[in-house]
Amino acid sequence: MTAARRLSPLVLVVAPVQVLRQFAIPVVGVLLFGRFSAASLAIAAAAVVLAFATGVFRWWTFRYRVYADRIELTRTFLSRRVRAMPLQRVRGVEINTPLLHRLLGLAIVHIETAGDDSEHGVLDAVSEEEADRLRAALLHRAAATPPPYLAPPPAAGYPPPAAWYPPPPAGASLGEPPEVFVRARPRWYLYAPLSGAYLLAPLAVVAALVGFVQQLTELNLLSPRRIGAAVEDLVAHPAVLIAVSVAAAVLFLIAMPVASVVVFALVNWDFTVYRQGGALVCERGLLTRRSVSLERRRIRGWVLVDGPLERLGGVARLQAVVTGLGGEARGQLLPSAPRDVALAVAERAVLPLRAELAGHPPRARLRRLVRAVGPWAVAAAVAWPAGLPVAGAVFTALALLGVPLGEDRYRALGHAFDGERISVRSGSLSRRQAVVERRALVGWRLRQSWFQRRAGLATLTAAVGAGAGGYAAIDLDAGDAVRFAAAVTPEWVRPFLAHPVPGPAQEPGPPR
Amino acid sequence: MGRARMSRHISILGNVRGGPDTTRGRPVAPRLAGVSIPALRPPANRVARRAIALWMVRGAAVAAVLIGVSATVSSALAALPAARHQVSPGSLPAGLLDWADRLPAVVAAVALPLVLGVPVWRYAVERFEVLADVVYTRTGWLSRTWQLVPVARVQTVDTSQGWLERAFGLATLRVQTASHAGSSRIAGLPLPLARALAADLGRRAGELRDDAT
Repeated sequence: MTAARRLSPLVLVVAPVQVLRQFAIPVVGVLLFGRFSAASLAIAAAAVVLAFATGVFRWWTFRYRVYADRIELTRTFLSRRVRAMPLQRVRGVEINTPLLHRLLGLAIVHIETAGDDSEHGVLDAVSEEEADRLRAALLHRAAATPPPYLAPPPAAGYPPPAAWYPPPPAGASLGEPPEVFVRARPRWYLYAPLSGAYLLAPLAVVAALVGFVQQLTELNLLSPRRIGAAVEDLVAHPAVLIAVSVAAAVLFLIAMPVASVVVFALVNWDFTVYRQGGALVCERGLLTRRSVSLERRRIRGWVLVDGPLERLGGVARLQAVVTGLGGEARGQLLPSAPRDVALAVAERAVLPLRAELAGHPPRARLRRLVRAVGPWAVAAAVAWPAGLPVAGAVFTALALLGVPLGEDRYRALGHAFDGERISVRSGSLSRRQAVVERRALVGWRLRQSWFQRRAGLATLTAAVGAGAGGYAAIDLDAGDAVRFAAAVTPEWVRPFLAHPVPGPAQEPGPPR
Repeated sequence: MGRARMSRHISILGNVRGGPDTTRGRPVAPRLAGVSIPALRPPANRVARRAIALWMVRGAAVAAVLIGVSATVSSALAALPAARHQVSPGSLPAGLLDWADRLPAVVAAVALPLVLGVPVWRYAVERFEVLADVVYTRTGWLSRTWQLVPVARVQTVDTSQGWLERAFGLATLRVQTASHAGSSRIAGLPLPLARALAADLGRRAGELRDDAT
């Protein structure tokens, strides 16, 4: 019987540093406040000892073991707590290497399973080679084990002893070089402000500064009276106040895109998408290197997302539609990247779409306009007579802005089917085009509101057992919606058509 | 055998083929009442007739609660003479306060036709059809939803009865797949029919299931 394995011994170095980082400011505060008296030194020493004890505790009590059908994480301290995660439910493996871990050659492994967060396993920290081996073993075995209702029932008794890492199937070895689809170019980091990512980072810096000043005043290193006097001097001269405010506003406006680019570059440094074995791997980050592996056979499609500024700049974001990952946040393939690059990666790494999107009827334009303008117009119509001119002006401005917004929303509408994949697109402020495999469909929902009924339109939602759960083609012509569903999945729709269309293998019906 | 018994159950409710929705010859313009999607024929079976009574009772209970709440709100507003002095006469808030004592009557006037009319409308619209491979339902009243669920993708089939439904001998059948948008619900079925459908669907889903999801 193979023994369970422990985490890397270097955890004894890393864990105390992590704990001390959290307690740094209070400990320093105690030392300064106590003016390095014996009592404060004793408290600081106790904190350091506690931090080391945490590292020893984690290394000593935690073990893990990979079986043929599951991985078990065991924590043994007075009582034994075992968490067993079936390999069949492992959806993805994420390997993070923060800066300190990278210096020591360690990595943190996150094992994500289908289900809520309580089922996730974390191994903090193992060596980098061990992390790669674990990832390959987990994803290989998850791909090799058949679904539970097709496999024979497990034999009773203790699981048979398994080799630690059985040799992976031929053609999917660890030594095989990865197939790289895209690697970040430095110029692409400049696209960050277009997507609005991290634009509010300067606000966070200002908040941190304010918090820092507050902590200094609490430690009596800065007196509130002096700060109050300085602020009063500033406010007394209106010219100075205006100049300072304008300068601050301009500084802020310049800082926002700069901060956005800097933080984006830190988080997404050198982002790479490659295929290794049976998994699609996305790596990014400078200080903390994050590597998310998605099993290739769990990926059912992709979603291309962009906003109005990104469309102007020719930039888009790419996400994968993955079964069992509970939402699209975990399935991000590419952050802001040029649109043709994103499309090429989607085609090569996931699946291509070989059809053009068909537009929706002109009646849908009126509906999109009414929905974009209507609520604001109604609010303005209520605000003006009620004696609220400011609110009325704001609502009127929003109603006027709704006209180009509604028009853009109409132009974004589209749907397509190329024989094997369907695609739908909608939205303007966040335009999303989803491409999904036909075999991932689990049903259709056709919804028609009263207004849509008057206009002969309907909204068709393709239900998918992955990603967001359903992707909607909004405001299709009602007959077109039914014909589209019948073209994609004829066996589900044909029995309910009002005028049955003869299938390719059937006799044509009587002449209509 | 099971399938024949089930189709006998369904025929007890009365097949409504050839109703106003289906047409012969050219498709009818979508403006006519009852013909909302001419390319799709409606499902064949209605739910139980006493579901109308069930929905009316439920609607009446909700309406009673709403009228009670509005009466409380209006009496609270009327018992605050100080509030009247704070708003300028003739503006919108003053007009609202004047109307406060008529609030319960307004709520009752809006609720009554809904309580009486919506269940009848729902009974006319809501239908279901369970074929060998697909479950097809139409639900709603003002806005309508057609739902197609292939049996091969079904994960769970539930029969549930609220306490009011139990008094009427009705049940709700829920058919669920891996996606929330791919799940359907049939309310107002007689309990034996709901149980028979659930057993049949569960058995067939187990036979047909493949690992697409």
